[in-house]
Amino acid sequence: MSVMLTKFESKSNRVKGLAFHPTQPLLAAALHNGSVQLWNYRMGVLVDRFEEHEGPVRAVHFHPSRALLVTGGDDYKIKVWDIRPQTRRCLFTLHGHLDYVRTVQFHHEMPWIISTSDDQTIRIWNSTSRNCIAVLTGHSHYVMSGFFHPKDDLVVSASMDQTVRVWDISGLRKGSPNTGPGNFETFDTFSTVKYVLEGHDRGVNYAAFHPTLPLIVSAADDRTIKIWRMSETKAWEVDSCRGHFNNVSSALFHPKHELIVSCGEDKTIRVWDLAKRTAIQTFRREQDRFWVLAAHPNLNLFAAGHDSGLIVFKLERERPAFAVHQDTLFYVRDKYVRSYDINSASDIGLLSVRKFGSPYMPPRTLSYNPAERAVLVTVSSDNGLYELTSLPQGSQGGEVKDSSVDGKKGTGHSAIFVARNRFAILNKASQLIEVRDLSNSVVKSIKPPVQTNEIFYGGTACLILSSTSSVVLYDIQQQKTIADINSPPVKYVVWNSDGSLVALMSKHTITIANRTFSEHSLIHETIRIKSGAWDDAGVFLYSTLNHVKYGLSQGDHGVICTLDNPVYLTRVKGKTIHCLDRSARPRTITFDPTEYRFKLALLKNNYEEMLYIIKTSTLLGQSIIAYLQQKGFPEIALHFVQDTNTRFELALECGNMDVAVETAEAIDRTDCWERLAQQALKQGNHKIVEKAYQRTKNFDKLSFLYLATGSTEKLSKMQKIADARGDPMSRFHNSLYAGDVKGRIAVLRDVGMYPLAYLTAKTHGFDDIAEEILEDASLTPADVDDVPSFAQATSVKPPQVVTSTADLVWPTISAGENFFDRALANGSLEGGVEPSYVNGDAAAAGSAMSALDDWAKDEETHEDIDPEEGGWDLGAEEEEFQDAEVEEEQPEEELGAGATPGPDERELWVRNSPLAADHVAAGSFESAMQLLNRQLGIVNFEPLKALFLSIYRSSHTYLSPVASLPPLHLHIRRNPTESSPSKVLPVAVIPLKQVRATLSEGYRALSSNKLSDAQEIFRSVLKTLLLVVLTSDDEARQWRETVTAAREYLLGVNIELERRQVAEVEPDNVRRSLELAAYFTHCQLQPPHMIIALRSAMAVFHKANNQAGAARFAKRLLETKPDSKVVAVARQRIAAGERNPRDAIEITYDEYTPFDICAASYTPIYRGSPSVHCPYTDASYLPQFKGKLDPLINLTEIGAVASGLPAPW
Amino acid sequence: MTSSELYHTKQQFILGAYQSVINLALPDPSSSDYIPTLLYQARSHIALHNPKAAIDIIPEDNANVALKAVVALARYIDAAGSSETDNLLEEMRDLSVEIEGDDAESTESDKAYVRVLAGTAFACAGEVEEALETLGADTEDLEAVAVIVQIYLSINRPDLAKKEYERSKRWAEDDLLLQLIESNIGLITGKDGYSNTNSFYTEQLGNPSLTSPHILTARGVTRILRNEIPEAKSDLEESLQQQKNDAETLAAYVVATGLGPAKKDESEESWTRLLNEHSTHPLVVEVSGKADLFDEAASKFVVPPVATVA
Repeated sequence: MSVMLTKFESKSNRVKGLAFHPTQPLLAAALHNGSVQLWNYRMGVLVDRFEEHEGPVRAVHFHPSRALLVTGGDDYKIKVWDIRPQTRRCLFTLHGHLDYVRTVQFHHEMPWIISTSDDQTIRIWNSTSRNCIAVLTGHSHYVMSGFFHPKDDLVVSASMDQTVRVWDISGLRKGSPNTGPGNFETFDTFSTVKYVLEGHDRGVNYAAFHPTLPLIVSAADDRTIKIWRMSETKAWEVDSCRGHFNNVSSALFHPKHELIVSCGEDKTIRVWDLAKRTAIQTFRREQDRFWVLAAHPNLNLFAAGHDSGLIVFKLERERPAFAVHQDTLFYVRDKYVRSYDINSASDIGLLSVRKFGSPYMPPRTLSYNPAERAVLVTVSSDNGLYELTSLPQGSQGGEVKDSSVDGKKGTGHSAIFVARNRFAILNKASQLIEVRDLSNSVVKSIKPPVQTNEIFYGGTACLILSSTSSVVLYDIQQQKTIADINSPPVKYVVWNSDGSLVALMSKHTITIANRTFSEHSLIHETIRIKSGAWDDAGVFLYSTLNHVKYGLSQGDHGVICTLDNPVYLTRVKGKTIHCLDRSARPRTITFDPTEYRFKLALLKNNYEEMLYIIKTSTLLGQSIIAYLQQKGFPEIALHFVQDTNTRFELALECGNMDVAVETAEAIDRTDCWERLAQQALKQGNHKIVEKAYQRTKNFDKLSFLYLATGSTEKLSKMQKIADARGDPMSRFHNSLYAGDVKGRIAVLRDVGMYPLAYLTAKTHGFDDIAEEILEDASLTPADVDDVPSFAQATSVKPPQVVTSTADLVWPTISAGENFFDRALANGSLEGGVEPSYVNGDAAAAGSAMSALDDWAKDEETHEDIDPEEGGWDLGAEEEEFQDAEVEEEQPEEELGAGATPGPDERELWVRNSPLAADHVAAGSFESAMQLLNRQLGIVNFEPLKALFLSIYRSSHTYLSPVASLPPLHLHIRRNPTESSPSKVLPVAVIPLKQVRATLSEGYRALSSNKLSDAQEIFRSVLKTLLLVVLTSDDEARQWRETVTAAREYLLGVNIELERRQVAEVEPDNVRRSLELAAYFTHCQLQPPHMIIALRSAMAVFHKANNQAGAARFAKRLLETKPDSKVVAVARQRIAAGERNPRDAIEITYDEYTPFDICAASYTPIYRGSPSVHCPYTDASYLPQFKGKLDPLINLTEIGAVASGLPAPW
Repeated sequence: MTSSELYHTKQQFILGAYQSVINLALPDPSSSDYIPTLLYQARSHIALHNPKAAIDIIPEDNANVALKAVVALARYIDAAGSSETDNLLEEMRDLSVEIEGDDAESTESDKAYVRVLAGTAFACAGEVEEALETLGADTEDLEAVAVIVQIYLSINRPDLAKKEYERSKRWAEDDLLLQLIESNIGLITGKDGYSNTNSFYTEQLGNPSLTSPHILTARGVTRILRNEIPEAKSDLEESLQQQKNDAETLAAYVVATGLGPAKKDESEESWTRLLNEHSTHPLVVEVSGKADLFDEAASKFVVPPVATVA
C-alpha cells in the first residue's frame, strides 16, 4: 500500500458530503456552495447537478436499490431526488429540522431516512408517507452524524457533546406508531438510547458501524479515532488510534479488510490496522483539509472530500498477479498462488505467499517458469521485493506449501524469468538489472541504456525495458539495444502464443509489434486500458474499464462487448474469454468473434474464411459495408447488400456490369441508365451501352454508337425507326451515317429543303432525282442555271468495316471473376467447408477413425484368442553376464591430457539387458545371436540380417554441436528420464503393438485370399517378434499369444497353399487334397477365418462326393454362427449328408481324436504319439525331423533345447 | 569487448548458422574485426565440409598465425584419408609451438584461435591426448572449453566434461557458448530427460537475431533422444526443407522414421539417399561395419538342412 491509487479527481467548491451509488459508477458530492454534483467517476464526467438547496449542502446518500438521492443542507431541508435523467427532479422536501442538517441516510430495507441536525436531534422519516416517524433526543449538542446499522435495528450517532450514542429503534418496526405529525411525545417510546459511549475529550465528528462485526469507529476533534465494541448488554472502548494532528473529520471501517480509513483537517488521509491499531499509511495533501470520507459498499473504492474538490481512490491494486502457461492460469488470490485449468475449470491453491512482503499488500506480479515449475512473485512493499519458489508437484492434500519455506528472496522492483534457469531483477533506484540463476546468485549485471521503470520478457535472451517515453528491446547477452519504440510508459506486455507478436500496453495506448520491434502499430483508447490477451488467430483482445475490444495487427479495432466491471483478460480460446474479476476469481465471457475474424480474413485475403463467415453468420449491417467500401473492397461489400440502389452504386464502383445491369433494370430510372451507359462505355461494353441508350430512348447516341461499332444493319433499323418517329433530323443523321444518299435526298425533299435536296442529288449524279425535285419545286432546269455546277461529290460514306465489332465487346480484365462471384453465383451456400480456424472453435475434426476395415475390426474384438497353455518357460534364467557387473568407480582424475576413455553407452546397454533386441541395438550382434540361440534355439540368422541392421540403425544418432569436430555419437534410450549408467537401456525400436498391427495385416491378406502375401507377412511377424523388447509379464503374455497366433496362421496358410499345389500338380490325388483341407480346419484360427477354412473344406468334400464329411464340416460351420447365406448352404450340405451319409474317398482324418499337425509333412500327430517341437514357435513335428531347420520360418533347429525368454523386469 | 558485428558473427557460428556467417560481408581489412570475421567464415566453410572454399578466401600472403592455422586445418580436412595428413598435422604442431614462444606479433586472441584449430585437428585425427594438451587444462577461452568438453564426451567421460564446465562457469559469465556446452553435456548424460538441451535449443529457435536449420536439427535429435518421435520428425523435416542435403539432418531423419510408427518405406528411402549421397557419414560407416560383423557372427552357427518330406 505504498501508494494511494487515485482513480478520479475533481476540482470544485469545498466538498462536505459524499455518497457512492451501490451499483453504478456514480458518486454524489454535496458542496459548500449549495450544489450537489453527480459524477461518473469511471468516465470522469459530471452527469448531473442538483441546485435547489440554499446554502451549503452537507448530507447526501443514494437509495440502495432505487434511483433516489437524499440530500440535507444548511437550509434545514431534506430533499429527495429522482436521479433518472428523463425524470430528474426533486420529488419532495422534508421539513422539520430546526438547524443545519449534517448527515442523511436511507435505510437498507425499510422506507426510512435518518437525518441528524445541529438542532441536537436525530430524526427518522418515512419516505413513503413523507412523515417524520421518530425523533431521537438526548444529545446535548450538534449531532454530527447518524447512521443505521447495516443489519440490526440500531442507530449510531456522534455529537459535539463528546459522546457517541447507540440507539435501539426496534420499536419502530412494530406497527406504525405514528399516524400524524405533531404528537412528539409518542416518538421517544419507540426509540431509546442503548449505550452512551464516553471517552472522547472533544466533540465527535463521525461514528460508524462495522459492516459485519459488533464494532464502532468514531472520529473526533480530540484528534483521535476510537474503536468501540458492543455486546448485547454493554459497549466499551477498545482502543484509540492517535496520529492525526488536527480534528479528525471522518473514520470508516474498510468493507473488506481489517483496516480503518480516516481523514482530517490536518490534510491527511490515514490508514490504520484494525487489529494492531497502528498507522499503516498516510497520504498528505498540500493545501486542502479533508472533510468527509465515503466507502463504496462493494468495491475497493473510497472517496474523500476536501477544501477544493474530491478524490476517488483505491487502497490497493486490484489487478491480480497472474501468468498464463498454455491452458493453465497461475494467479494470486488472497495471497495464495493458485492454478486454474481453463479446460477443466479446476482451481487449486498451490502456494501461500502470506508471509511475503507487507501483510496489507497483495503481490504485484507473477512470472511462471514451466521448465522448473517455479514462480517468481513480486510485491511493491519495502521498495519492491521478489521471491522465487517452486510450486509443489500436483496438489497434495491438506496444508498448502508456504513460500517462506524454501523461497529465495531479494529486493527488486520487477522480477521475471528470462530463460529456463535465469531470471532478471530490476532495481529501480540503482538502475541495475541483475540476471540471476535459480540459486539466486547473480550471474550478470546490466546497466540499462534508459531510465527503466519496469522490465518484461522480451523473447529469447531479450528484455523489454519500459521507460517514461519509450520502450526498448534489449539483448541481454550482447548488452545492447536492439530496437526502441516511442511510447508512453508501458505497464503490461503480452506475447502471443508463438512469440511472434507482442502487445505493449500503456494507460491509453497499445502498441502491437513483431518480435524484433521492426514493425508496429498503435491503438489509442480514451478509456483506461486494463488488460489484454491474444486470440490464437493473432488478434489482440483487450479490456478497458468498460469494454472488451479487439485490435488487429495493422491497428483496426472495435468493440466486442460492454462490461459492468473491469476484468483482467487472461486467455482467449475460441469464443470464450477467460478472465479474472476484481476479486481475482476466474470468469469466462462468451463472445462472437465473427466481426474481427471477418476483418482479419479480409486483411489476409483469406477468401475461403470470409466466404464461410458470410454464409454462416448474420454479419450484415451498414458498418461492415462501410468498412468494406472504405477499405477498398466494394466487390465484397456487394455480397452483403440487398438494397438495389446501394447495390447499383457498389456495382458501378467496382465495375461489376452484370450486377449493375440487373439492378438498373430493377430500378429503371433514366439517371441510372445514363450512369450505367457512361460506365459501360468506359469499359468498352457497347452492348450494355446500347441497352442503356435503348432504355432511355437516346436515339442520337444510339445511332452514333452503331456507326462507331460498324453495325450497318442496326443503322438501317434506326433509319426505319426515325421514319416511324417522323423525326427528319434523326432520319437525316441516320442516312448520313449509313451512307444512304438517296435516303438523305428523300429527307431533304420531305422537309421541303429542295435546294439542298437538288444539289445533293445533282452532285451525287442522281440527275433523274434532281429532275424530280425540280418538278416538285415547280421549276425548270433553266431556273437553276445560275447555280454553279459543283464537282461530283465524293460520296460521304461510313468507313469500311474491317473487323466487325458489332458482336464483340471490348475485352476486360476478368474483374468480375472473383472468388465470391464464383462461390456465391453457383449457389453452393451449403457446400462451404469450414476452413480450419486455428482457434480451436472449429467443430473439432471428425473423430478420425483408424483406417481399419471391417475385417480388422473383427480382429480387435477377438484379439484375446486362447492363451497358450503349454507352459512355455518364460521364467527368468540367471544369465551369467548379468552378475558380471563391474562398477567402474574411477579414481579422481585431473582434468586435461591423459584422460582415459570411459565406458561406451553401448557397453552399458549390453551389460544392463539380457534381451537379444537390446544387444542388437547396442551393436553387439555376436552376443545377441548367442542369446537368441540359447533362449529360442535360433541357428539360421541370415533372414534376420536386415532386421538387425535396421534396429541398430534406429538406436543411434549423431550431432555436431561444435564445428568441424567429429559428431557426437548419441544413443537413444528407452526411458529418457533414466540416466543412471546401471539402468540405461536402448530404445525399443520395434514395439509389440506395431507387430500386432502387422499381424492384423496378415489376417486381412488371408481373408482376401492373398495367401502368399499372408505367408510372407506371418513369417515376418515371427521374425520381428524375436527382437521385440518386453517390459512386463503382461507384455510377455501378449508376446506369446502373438507368436502362437502367427504360427497357427502360418501353418494354416502353408497347408492351404500345399493343397492348392496338390490340386494343380496332381489333380488325381484327391485324397491328399481332402486331407489337407480337413487339416486346415484344425489350425487355431479366429472365427471369421475359421469360417473360410470350413467353407473351403465343405466345398472340397462336397465336390469329391464325400457328403458325410461335408456335412460334418457344415455342422461345425453352423456352430460358428456365420451369416444367413452361409447358413443356408451349410444346411443343404447337412441335408445332403443325411440323405447320403457316405464318403466316396477314404482319407486319413480322425476328427474325434485331438491332434497336432506336423508343420513339415502336414500330417496329423495324434495325441499320445511322439513329437518334437520348434524351440521358438512350439510348432509340432514328427520325431524324424529332429535336428533339422524348421520349415515354417527357417530359423530354428527343430527339437533344440532352449531356455525361453528371460524376464528382466 | 568485441564489437557487436563480431559478436553476432560469433553467435551465428556457435549456433551452427554457418551459411549465414559465410554470407556476411567482410569488414574492411584494416578493421580489427577483419581477421576474426575471416576466420569464422573460413571455419564455417570447413564446418560445411567445403575446406577448399576456406583455403580460397584466405589471402595467400597472410602472416597471421590464426589464419595460417585455419588454412592448415582446411587442408587437413581436405586431405582426410590421404597420406598427407601426417605432414599437415606436423604443420599444426609447428604452429602451436610457434605461439608458445615469445612472439610479439600474434595477439592473445590469435593464439587462442590457433589452439582451438589445432585442437580440432588433433581431435579429428583421434589424437585425444595431444588435443587436450594443446587446448590447455586451464584455458580461459570458451571455444577451447567447448572443444575440450566435446572431446571428453566423445571418449565417454561426461564426468570430466562436467568438471570442465563447472570450472569455466566461474569466469565465463552467462555466455551463449557456455549454455551450448552445458547443453552438449546434457545430450550425453541425458540428465532430467534431456530437458536442459531441449529448452536450450527451443530457446534458441526463438532467438530473434538468427535462424539456422542446424538448431532445428539439433532440437530434432534431442527430441529423438526424448522419444518424442513425431515432434522430432517435424523438426527434421523443416530443417531438411531449409538445407536439402545436410547429412546430419538426413541421418537423424532416418533414425526418426525408423522409430516412429511411419511406414518403413519412408525410412528405407531416406536411408538409401544417405547411403548414396553421404557415404562417409559415421552412421553409414557404422552400419556397413555392423553388416560385416553380422555375417561373421552368423557364420559361427551351423545351419542344418530344412526339414522336408523326403
